[in-house]
Amino acid sequence: MSDTTTTQRSRGMRDLLPDEMDRVRAAEDAFAAACRTWGYREIRTPVIEPLHLFTSAGTLSPQTLDRVYSFLDWDGWSGERVVLRPDSTIPAARLYAERLDGGRVAKLFYNQNVFRFTDDGSSREEWQCGVELIGDTGRAGDVELVLLALEALAPLKLPDVKVRLSHAGIVRAVLAAAGMAPDEQSAAYDRLLDGDLTVVDEVEARVPQLNAPLRLLFEVEGGGSGYIANLRGPLTAAIPALEPAFDDLAFVVEALEARGVTPLVQSVLARSFEYYSGLVVKVEAGGQRVVTGGRYDDLIGLVGGKHVPASGFAVYLAPLIEMLAPAQRPADERRIVVQAESDTPALLASQYEAAEHLRAARLRAETVEGMHSVPTHRLICREGSPKYTLVWPDGSEHFERLDDVARVLEPDR
Amino acid sequence: MIRVALPTGDLRNETAALLEHAGIGIEDYAAGSRALRFPMLGDAAVARVFRERDIPVQVALGNYDAGICSLSWIEELAQRFPGHEVVRVRDVGYGGHGLWLAAAGDEAEASVRIVSEYPNIAETIARRLRLRRYRVFPVWGAAEAYPPEDADVVLVAAPDEAAIEAAGLRPIARVLQSSAWLIVNRQSLASKDLSPLLSRLLAQAGASASAPLSVPASLGLRPAAPRAPRTRLRLALPDGHAQSHTIAALQTAGVRVAGYEDGAVIRRPAIDMDGVDVKVIRPQDMPQQVAIGQFDLAVTGRDWLFDHLVQFPSSPVEEIIDLRRSIYGLAAIVKDVRADTVAGALREWRAKSDAPIRVASEYPNIADHFARERHFGRYSVIPIAGASEGFVPEDAEILIEGIDTGSSVRANKLTVLERFYESTNCVIANKQRPEGALRPLFDALVERLRSGAAEPVAAGGGA
Repeated sequence: MSDTTTTQRSRGMRDLLPDEMDRVRAAEDAFAAACRTWGYREIRTPVIEPLHLFTSAGTLSPQTLDRVYSFLDWDGWSGERVVLRPDSTIPAARLYAERLDGGRVAKLFYNQNVFRFTDDGSSREEWQCGVELIGDTGRAGDVELVLLALEALAPLKLPDVKVRLSHAGIVRAVLAAAGMAPDEQSAAYDRLLDGDLTVVDEVEARVPQLNAPLRLLFEVEGGGSGYIANLRGPLTAAIPALEPAFDDLAFVVEALEARGVTPLVQSVLARSFEYYSGLVVKVEAGGQRVVTGGRYDDLIGLVGGKHVPASGFAVYLAPLIEMLAPAQRPADERRIVVQAESDTPALLASQYEAAEHLRAARLRAETVEGMHSVPTHRLICREGSPKYTLVWPDGSEHFERLDDVARVLEPDR
Repeated sequence: MIRVALPTGDLRNETAALLEHAGIGIEDYAAGSRALRFPMLGDAAVARVFRERDIPVQVALGNYDAGICSLSWIEELAQRFPGHEVVRVRDVGYGGHGLWLAAAGDEAEASVRIVSEYPNIAETIARRLRLRRYRVFPVWGAAEAYPPEDADVVLVAAPDEAAIEAAGLRPIARVLQSSAWLIVNRQSLASKDLSPLLSRLLAQAGASASAPLSVPASLGLRPAAPRAPRTRLRLALPDGHAQSHTIAALQTAGVRVAGYEDGAVIRRPAIDMDGVDVKVIRPQDMPQQVAIGQFDLAVTGRDWLFDHLVQFPSSPVEEIIDLRRSIYGLAAIVKDVRADTVAGALREWRAKSDAPIRVASEYPNIADHFARERHFGRYSVIPIAGASEGFVPEDAEILIEGIDTGSSVRANKLTVLERFYESTNCVIANKQRPEGALRPLFDALVERLRSGAAEPVAAGGGA
């Protein structure tokens, strides 16, 4: 027989332990609370979607599709494969096109997992909290998403938060000016993202009318509207098609600066070049990517809906689990384990009655002590008198009535 | 002990010659012996003969340290399982053939239908081509027979363009130039002394005859207009072992199919009924073709219908006539096991190890179903293409296999633990029957085929 393995967990899949889930919930709750107060409504899409949803959209590169978990399910006799969703935006776009497309603005958020094969041992399941703003919101929608992302992250008190902005139209215009076909543009974009600036030399050789070195654009990361102004003049003179992208970028940057946010501006930012049609945003914290997003105006049409502009972002939970401090218990929290003195049905009923009473008094009362219980008090239930004994590290006290027990355990006492 | 997987079929003679030149020849392998295992390098190695497509899987699993097979089958594994454990050592320079994309016409349906024995490579090509919508139909063979009615594009192996054209197809592009390769298991290479084998084989001059996978910019096919409803009934007849039984049934029924005779493989023979078209394909592939409405009727094995239905319970295919020919059973087969029941064998294996129980079968879906039903716990199904009797006990704990007289089982000293399914040849149809003018034709053909059923007989053979 073949070799045994030491774990039954599937490769690339991750367990989340209670302490990690505390941090996940903290991030999810902050995200959901922010979304709700901004008027966004929660959705959930199926884990399994037809493969053709993702191939039809044409916005996932073959390399991304190579990493999709696809299979023939129980209905696969027709030859149509299904996938574990590799992305949540395309299903959200499908949901909008199929169920909500009434021409009005849809403000949606979700908290769900996506699956992509990796061969380096990294996680193949990724949890994301995402927002989709679908409808004609213009550049104001881009500003809204950046500010919403920052507000969702604010309660988490992440270190060294940086907002980086780009515009898909910048690289697209430059590469198109160099005569590159869409497939060549994608490949060149990936090389740029990987830090291969020889692409820049190739482009410069193909656009002789440039009177400003392109490396200004690709090598330097600027800080806000001043940087945009520096690049805009010389580059748009040579490549007029850059003008709309610089317009959008300048508008969003100025609006964010007016709100006290100074974004960094880069020419290439997030992968998924084919996905985005306008502004692209990335938020980093502690040197790690925690948010990416942007504008994808063509997507709704590509999945069968009307042409409706849209934009969105996703918060990645994995880095947040590592960054967030362990959940702190409130200093005055009382954690009571309620026990029966002996193992009789009557005392067991008394034990559960006592726990219910304490919980009704908004106290945390457990009846089974677990590995994570960490009690501050124990309440022993007896058949005789006194009926209850409350024990804590420094002492104990006897009671006949549960109201008295609850009163003693009130946090401000 | 070094374990080597060697090919049967087209590569056998040249592989035997390569081993001979390397000074590690195997006389019986070269002579075409039906044995499946041969000592090699004195007692330092053992060679096992496989169907070519099984060799990369066996080397990847680590059942064999090294193997020789076509690049096309290595690539077929690699496209689905990029993390596999196969290291490509050397192109040994023979067995050259191309993998070709080909079509019969210049149109494709909106959901492009691709038929191939290489479904994983076909999937990769479809993604690289950025096809907006496509379906890949894996087939056991006869892919070239599918266009234009049953496929828009095929991915087939052929020596050259002329061979594609001889099959009535138009080559679109050669996507892979394949030849035989020496491969080794990654772990074996990292931790085991394979030098007695590798040094001899690598000392042989190898001429590179292969080229990697390359995908054309487009298929160059126009979108086809939506298909009009069919005006002719379509019947699929099987090739291979099932052909003689089907011929017998047709003869009994008085149905004449010109060109469908023993030893002949004419893909579109002529039936003596107006309005009916016949195509000859592999019986394994028929249930899906009937399910998707390409054929109204097909003569196949009940085993293949069972395999299809356990994979796709909602499939709209059903058996409508039991022809009661080609009778054999599906059985769970082991070797060197003391127990005489499946449950007993499970206890025996579990007492030795908690490793996955390896279930080898040409019927991977039935094998999976059997293992679930019998509570195998941790198990893996190894799909195989043939030479199955040699799999137990070295390469699998249990084999799910068709048996008829049991002679092969006895000859290989195998034990049948359980004969769990009786198969015959049968006629299958889609539950959604043809409508309009096709319906009376359908009913008439069904009645004629029904009269071809053999008299009821007891299930034959057994171990």
